[in-house]
Amino acid sequence: MVVGTGASPALGSAVEALRQLFDAAACSVALVDEEGAELAFVAADGAGAAEIVGQTVPVGRGIAGWAAMSGQPIAVSDVQADPRFARDVAESTAYVPRAILAAPLMGGDGDVLGVLSVLDPSVDQTSDWVLRVLGTGASLVALLVEGGPSAPDGDPGPGGLDVLGRDVLRVVEAWRSGDPGGSAHR
Amino acid sequence: MTAALAWSSAFERGAIETVVALPFADVREWAFGGSTGAGVRLAVVDSGVDGGHPRVGGISGGVAFEVDPDDEQEFHPREGPHEDLVGHGTACAAIIRSLAPDVEIYSVRVLGPNLKGRGAMLQAGVEWAVDQAMDVANLSLSSKAAAMYAPLHGIADEAFFAGTVLVCAANNLPGPTYPSQYASVVSVAATPGAEERGLFYNPNPPVEFGARGIDVDVAWADGSSITATGNSFAAPHVAGMVALMRAKHPWLTPFQVKAVLHAASENSAAG
Repeated sequence: MVVGTGASPALGSAVEALRQLFDAAACSVALVDEEGAELAFVAADGAGAAEIVGQTVPVGRGIAGWAAMSGQPIAVSDVQADPRFARDVAESTAYVPRAILAAPLMGGDGDVLGVLSVLDPSVDQTSDWVLRVLGTGASLVALLVEGGPSAPDGDPGPGGLDVLGRDVLRVVEAWRSGDPGGSAHR
Repeated sequence: MTAALAWSSAFERGAIETVVALPFADVREWAFGGSTGAGVRLAVVDSGVDGGHPRVGGISGGVAFEVDPDDEQEFHPREGPHEDLVGHGTACAAIIRSLAPDVEIYSVRVLGPNLKGRGAMLQAGVEWAVDQAMDVANLSLSSKAAAMYAPLHGIADEAFFAGTVLVCAANNLPGPTYPSQYASVVSVAATPGAEERGLFYNPNPPVEFGARGIDVDVAWADGSSITATGNSFAAPHVAGMVALMRAKHPWLTPFQVKAVLHAASENSAAG
């Protein structure tokens, strides 16, 4: 796992855990800069991690950029069919995936903080359950990015950690129980 | 009907339950049969639409909202042609075109290379669609910003009463997202299956409808196609169905459209 200068070591642990959860080639976190125009990779685990951390990409480009722009998780299973992606990777020394899962990291006020990306997951993607798990993981990572779970007044409130915690438990229990949504897991 | 598995967090009660609809006979034929979407104006509020993509087959117009630090609102609208920055708006438009080949598609670009003012531009894009008297608007995007709750709620209600049906992708992230959360919109999550007109009603809202959105072959940037999954690909399937029914029955109001979608759902049984 590789964590950029100034980023929380907890982000490194998070991407390592999420990469293992999805049995993926790589997992990364990129954060939006103050101008809202670039995504900077601050933590990554797996293939290409050393190369990608510290790199920046424009928000208006690629699958991760779209997740940030739209606020929606997305999965693409043959990303190399996108000619713009192909041009981008031609300029890159990092790992070149076939499939990408991307989910926005949303701050407590609902602003987009960044993007969580999973490259070449081994889990079956023919269910939106994968995006559900990814979205839940992204919510946890967003808490880490913000430096803690508490609201300004210290009360996580009805939509805060309590709900999030139960959401996470439900997802994990369903994931482990065998058949949460058809065949979303192995 | 209880056979279908729970496939999505929006339908997570173990099975897709049967719902009782108004006593319409052959509602699918009544709503969609023989329709091409002709005469219906539909806005794709997204990252732009590549009208030149063979699967889109041209668009009828549009507007791009662009960040402008010198403007009072910090963005301004620019009418006319614009590119699709990512390919996603093109994907949505091509899905709609596949269902409703003669619908008039308008590209409303509110997603740009800068995240500043994202919620405000989304609001402005919906306002544009209402002002232009669009019959349908597809919103495969959302905001979780608490500050946008009231403004987006306001324009969603305005659209509802003005007759612009807002079809909004639900979000896989925990917690509410706007505008898919509002009762005045048609909210959609992804279901498995390859049926273009597949439709389910969820009796446990806020997500009300399920449509095709998993492993979908979609149009993308620079004339390409990719295989993608997301609620954002389910919404345009429903938007296309709404275009079909409004072409046949232009008098349908947004609440009637929702009742017809409910009755046309595969898990719906006539009461």
